[in-house]
Amino acid sequence: MAGEAQNPLKERMTIHGELDADSFVPWIRRHAAKLGVTQAITHHSPDRIEIDLSGAPELIDMLEVGCLLGPIDVWVETIDRRPVGNAGG
Amino acid sequence: MTVGPMFDEWYPVGIFGQLDAAGRKTMLMGEPIVVARDDNGDAKVTDGTGRSLPVCVRYGHVWTSLGDPKKKLFAIPEADQPGRRFVDVGVVRVRCSPLRAVENFLDIAHFPFVHTDILGAEPHTEVQAYKVEIREDVDEVWATQVEFYQPQAAKSASGGITTQYMYRVAGPTSTVLYKTCPPRPSEWDVITLFVQPLAEDLCDVWPWMALFDDDTPMTDLIHFQQTIFLQDRSILENQVPRLLPLDPGMEMPTRADLTSVAYRRWLKRHNFTYGAQLVAQ
Ligand SMILES: [Fe+2]
Repeated sequence: MAGEAQNPLKERMTIHGELDADSFVPWIRRHAAKLGVTQAITHHSPDRIEIDLSGAPELIDMLEVGCLLGPIDVWVETIDRRPVGNAGG
Repeated sequence: MTVGPMFDEWYPVGIFGQLDAAGRKTMLMGEPIVVARDDNGDAKVTDGTGRSLPVCVRYGHVWTSLGDPKKKLFAIPEADQPGRRFVDVGVVRVRCSPLRAVENFLDIAHFPFVHTDILGAEPHTEVQAYKVEIREDVDEVWATQVEFYQPQAAKSASGGITTQYMYRVAGPTSTVLYKTCPPRPSEWDVITLFVQPLAEDLCDVWPWMALFDDDTPMTDLIHFQQTIFLQDRSILENQVPRLLPLDPGMEMPTRADLTSVAYRRWLKRHNFTYGAQLVAQ
């Protein structure tokens, strides 16, 4: 739909797990770029990564499914997603 | 390479009812083995040096391990349920990773395209949302509430129906499918895929079934299932890369692939990597 393209979903994705590998952040950026999802990583620690995302809902879905596997040296336990409002950010 | 923790798991190596004293020469993870009956009629498996390997006979097949299995072979309670017919389908050799063979079996989305007019048909190609989990108590992957329209879901089905499925990964190369049983709506038909890893990129696939179907001749049941697996073989032998990627890399899995993703997560967690590709290429 044209409406979707003009108003892509804005979401914050929170990844929990054993993420203490330098490989993951660049991996997420690459995967998002391949999907055409805009991303900004707002927090990165060994057990949590937070990313603000903007893109078509099915593409953000695919980013989530891809991140569940991730690179071999990372173990993703859970992924939470919530919409980001215009005001609250 | 070293086999890793998959060394200590159980694998199918033949149909028990077809064994004789001379035995069946085969391979398990690159090791030559012989599967035979001993003087008492029991199954016996020996490796290339003549060493006896662990043996168990279950679900029509002989199971063994090159290592030291920590657990008994997984349970399929339906195998002890009266009234079912048990079908040893036979063997299909596939030039693919044993993990790829399992992953393909878990993939519902391929039905309309690979098993056209049998297990699926256009335009009924959409996979509805379903539930996938790693069950910690049994350490298995389960996908439930899977629904799909099928023109001919089973040999005993006479027309198109919406079939319900459950998928279960019970071992690194053992998977069990539960599907709507047309003659008995309260029960599930059980169709398994037991995979013998010959090498990282070569396997023997041993399907086995436990069905409520008193009418269909055995040869028709076997032929139906073999037709399906031969369709899968042509897909499996052309997959690139040959090994199963644990890093999705160039692949773009979708929500419909969540069972495959859960299987790969489970393999990764256990370091079950024989037949896997660890880094995306
Ligand atoms: Fe198939």
